[in-house]
Amino acid sequence: MDIVSLLLEAANLMLTGMVGVFVFLSILILAVKNLARFAGPELTCDTSDRAPSKPSTGVPSDHIAAISAAIAQHRTKK
Amino acid sequence: MDGLLNLWQATGLANLTFPALIMMAVGCGLLYLAIAKGFEPLLLVPIGFGAILTNIPVAGLSEPGGLLYYVYYIGIDSGVFPLLIFMGVGALTDFSALIANPRMLLLGAAAQFGIFATLFGAIALNFVPGFEFTLKDASAIAIIGGADGPTAIFLASKLAPELLGAIAVAAYSYMALVPIIQPPIMRALTSEQERSIAMPQLRAVSTKEKILFPLMVLSLTILFLPAATPLVGMFCLGNLMRECGVVDRLSNTAQNEIINITTIFLGLAVGSKLAAEHFLTVETLGILVLGALAFSIGTASGVFMAKAMNRLSTNPINPLVGAAGVSAVPMAARVVNKVGLEANPHNFLLMHAMGPNVAGVLGSAVAAGILLALVG
Repeated sequence: MDIVSLLLEAANLMLTGMVGVFVFLSILILAVKNLARFAGPELTCDTSDRAPSKPSTGVPSDHIAAISAAIAQHRTKK
Repeated sequence: MDGLLNLWQATGLANLTFPALIMMAVGCGLLYLAIAKGFEPLLLVPIGFGAILTNIPVAGLSEPGGLLYYVYYIGIDSGVFPLLIFMGVGALTDFSALIANPRMLLLGAAAQFGIFATLFGAIALNFVPGFEFTLKDASAIAIIGGADGPTAIFLASKLAPELLGAIAVAAYSYMALVPIIQPPIMRALTSEQERSIAMPQLRAVSTKEKILFPLMVLSLTILFLPAATPLVGMFCLGNLMRECGVVDRLSNTAQNEIINITTIFLGLAVGSKLAAEHFLTVETLGILVLGALAFSIGTASGVFMAKAMNRLSTNPINPLVGAAGVSAVPMAARVVNKVGLEANPHNFLLMHAMGPNVAGVLGSAVAAGILLALVG
């Protein structure tokens, strides 16, 4: 086969190939958009009705400081 | 005296040919690039060593009966290794950036122009005396532009096995050179202002979407391009294992053990194709040139497509992300992020570039399927 006809065939392949890739991926775009419609994330991350965070314990902070200082001292003695 | 002569005949020294010596030097060069320069070491170490092993005289490692012959025959001739790697890549890929912004698929499609333009270029190279590429050869060479090692090896093993060594080496070398090849093209085709465009934050993606995505891609491939189902199917299997959340053990195995074991043998088998008589030809030189051309055209067409989309779309699109459409995951996306940060230090494009980047993987698998269907 001579080069010119091979070139024509290659050009043809280039055209069909690019059209093929674009068509396939465009269909995929539509499919993904539809997927988002029925399987997308629920947009109910409303944080306003969340209960205000409470302090976890009723222990005053200076007590905690004293206890942790005591623990640290005990560990260093060891 | 005869015994001594026979012993001499059995030594490497007596049988070493000059071309084989050059190929061993090429193997050592690949090892140097991998070890000292850090270029794709996971592949170039086994490939470089395979190149040395295959050129050892007398031992005949790549002849029927030799280890490398069987590794090649079982793994690459059958197409199994690239597909196993593709499963692992699927298990490593997070599609959320693409699902959140599916238009990025267009960038992955545009960058495949590098493949088809190179196909044309490879045939045009036949005008130069010494080159005789058939349409099959040209297609296998062009897929280097897909910047996807397993896809390139898969297609080359089907269409042009004798060129596989050069194609695989070119594909992996250029993937390692993405940070050098791409930025000048990206800078030349965009203005400072375009490069600093910030893109809106991506939406959250639900688990259900992530699970359904690979199944949907597979169904579309079954319907429209069954020739691409070996690649896309294994890729989707890996991705489904990752996202479904019930087979973490399998997903981890695909991402680590399987991909690692396969990489060792894939590299060796590719290296075994670097025998002097196949590699030291003028065609190899042509393949290296065409591969660089394919990468550059792919990068440029991705950037152009992103520019066009930026003009037409209401949401701003930074043209740089188009360059990530060539796949080469995640290197190309990192390069986009880096070039974007140079223009605007507060603009992190990595997540936005991951969309076209994984779209590029799908795009090159689809392009490979089309080439297989039309040329194979």
